[in-house]
Amino acid sequence: MYRECGARLRASMKDKGVDALVLLGNGNVVYATGASWPLLDAGLSHVERPVAIVLADDEHPHLYMPFREGSAFDSELPDDHVHGPLYLEFDEGVEHFAKILTGLVPSGATVAVDELTGAMRRAGARLFPAGPPSDAALVVGPAKLVKTIDQISSVRKACRITEQAVVEVQKSLAPGVRQIDLSAAFVRRAFELGATTNMIEAIWQVMPTTRNSGAVWTTTGDLALPLLPTEKELAKGDVLWTDVSITYEGYCSDFGRTWVVGEEPSPQQQAQFAKWREILDAVLAVTKAGATCGDLARAAIAANGGKKPWLPHFYLGHGIGTNAAEMPMIGTDLGEEFDDNFVFPAGMLLVLEPVVWEDGTGGYRSEEIVIITEDGHQSITDYPYTPYGAS
Amino acid sequence: MAEQILPDDLALRTGRRERALAQMEANDLDVLVLGRQANVRYVTGAPQLWVAGTRPFAPICVLVRATGEIHLNSSWDEGIPEEIGHDHLYGLAWNPMTNIEVLKHIDGASTARRVGTDAMSPSFAQLLPMAFPNAELVDGEGAMKAARRTKTPDELRVLRGALAVAERGLAAAVSELAVGTTEQALNGVLMEAMTAGGFSTSATQDGAWVTSREHSWRVGRRDVRVQDGDLVAFAAGALADGYVGEVARTWPVGEVAGADALYRRSNDLWERLVDACRPGAPASDLLAAYEAAGESLPPMPVAHGLGLGFDPPVISPDLPQTSAGEVLDPGTVLAVTAYVWEPGVGAVFSRDAVLITDDGPEVLTSSPAFNSAAVGTS
Repeated sequence: MYRECGARLRASMKDKGVDALVLLGNGNVVYATGASWPLLDAGLSHVERPVAIVLADDEHPHLYMPFREGSAFDSELPDDHVHGPLYLEFDEGVEHFAKILTGLVPSGATVAVDELTGAMRRAGARLFPAGPPSDAALVVGPAKLVKTIDQISSVRKACRITEQAVVEVQKSLAPGVRQIDLSAAFVRRAFELGATTNMIEAIWQVMPTTRNSGAVWTTTGDLALPLLPTEKELAKGDVLWTDVSITYEGYCSDFGRTWVVGEEPSPQQQAQFAKWREILDAVLAVTKAGATCGDLARAAIAANGGKKPWLPHFYLGHGIGTNAAEMPMIGTDLGEEFDDNFVFPAGMLLVLEPVVWEDGTGGYRSEEIVIITEDGHQSITDYPYTPYGAS
Repeated sequence: MAEQILPDDLALRTGRRERALAQMEANDLDVLVLGRQANVRYVTGAPQLWVAGTRPFAPICVLVRATGEIHLNSSWDEGIPEEIGHDHLYGLAWNPMTNIEVLKHIDGASTARRVGTDAMSPSFAQLLPMAFPNAELVDGEGAMKAARRTKTPDELRVLRGALAVAERGLAAAVSELAVGTTEQALNGVLMEAMTAGGFSTSATQDGAWVTSREHSWRVGRRDVRVQDGDLVAFAAGALADGYVGEVARTWPVGEVAGADALYRRSNDLWERLVDACRPGAPASDLLAAYEAAGESLPPMPVAHGLGLGFDPPVISPDLPQTSAGEVLDPGTVLAVTAYVWEPGVGAVFSRDAVLITDDGPEVLTSSPAFNSAAVGTS
């Protein structure tokens, strides 16, 4: 899993003049080492977390792995590159880490890290004698962009598991069912089908009838999304925007569809879907290697009558890989210049999630994952739009 | 969870906030800039969207000591406590400069002398001085750890709730244990039960596995089918109202030769571990309990503090000096792990929550354990 992307990562290190990478972020460690494990809650995962050290002149990364009891963890790394855990939250753990780093990284070498814990900051001069480290995100980000066949295959498998699990969930949708029941059914089926990690709190948001119906105030004056699930019972006619994600072999799925509870969509609601489909088609028509984020944003806006078909705090689309949302983000506060300068390479993955909204309909939102190819794109998502679309 | 998303109640959030502010004073911090979910929840009392795994550092919440005011990264007000007004909410952003612009205009930012952050990235290390031009940027995680170390009475109330969610999940999974089922299916049952109990967030997702006869802790894929003679470990990790509840048990499948002796060893170890949970005792007494019982130390922490995530202390054979220097203060809640293994038999693993009180340990979990005397009655 890591050989091909490891070469990419080391090429990116060379590009940026970085001799050694120290990675603490779960997604970055998965990317660099190919290791996969069930992720912990954020509150636990900064203490008990795998750490990777990647050297520019070693084809194998070093992995420092906390073994939770009976830990489900699989690695293709050579034995002499898999080590016991590092506790970088603690001065004693960082002392130990300093010795390891001195042994692996020649003095004067340039180092990049993705996070500095308090204990690492206190020991900064010892850990990084050549000066403050640069940001590893700038090295890992560009490397992650183009996916290998293995990585695409893992994302695809994660999507299949997700979609199969969602089939059961959608069948159970009825008035009186609670959002939390949908979440419970989803996690059970996803794990039975082989999911490694449930990535986000499953979203089954009941959409308001008007854009600013007052129930939830937003900083943008636009729709709030995603709002957390509750134990409230769903009612007939509720329009749900769904969003779930799991990992398989460390790679994420992303799923989003719009459902109506207990009845068929009205003609107005069907028209929302038709509009959404029109926007997606317009975006896909310009999606290929060499296109920019700006090209897709413009196609989407043109198809939506000159208005952005995405929420102001989100994006038209995003990348996906070891994180559920990775670069590039399309149409954000990073600005138009960023969007226009971001050129898609072949082999990049993109999740497109335009949003349409008309008061009284609950709007429409779905997510489609595509692989960027030289002459276009190939879809990974394989789930019907039911109850919307042709009847 | 209820029918509405609500902030943590007033007593809970003000009790925690007082401790955070006291630690800011003790650590001479004018401002805290927090990115870690647990710290943000501790200070704000606002539920946030749960995502598994670590997140890169970003300024999600700012606490100003002089005024006690909180600024929070949220695009909406659902679940936000009333004392954090709309003008103190700033929306999701993808450009770090958008955040820096917000931070710059916070009252007290321009005059702050010492600003603590709970983690740091090299990029934000360069950008944050723009928002805090007169400040030294220092570690703030130490202050947060100190604040979170012992629990307020209100925290204990919520934590007990999280433990109950974990125990219900564990019970559901144990009830499905049978020859032919899979580790993944048992994990699915456990996660389903915790979710149906009202919490679609989890602390851990490694719910069930067949313990290894060949290795003292198994490392491998979770695709094994349960067979007669297996010792199957169950570990439930709930995250309920922000708090982590963990509990674990091991159950035999049918007759397991050698299991009786192993369970006796586990019980002996457990009694020694609970004895070590005395107020004022060094945390390393829990490591010593393994030695006294003649058991090998497992590769994972023997105990860790429970709260909004991993709270201090973390008692691990990898941190011997740290563990020796940590004192068990009343109000600390530990997840204590008893782990014993026998070649050819497997492992017996249990985890329980223990509250350190002035009078001694109080065990907060009560999941049934396998009782070898009952073998053959089912």
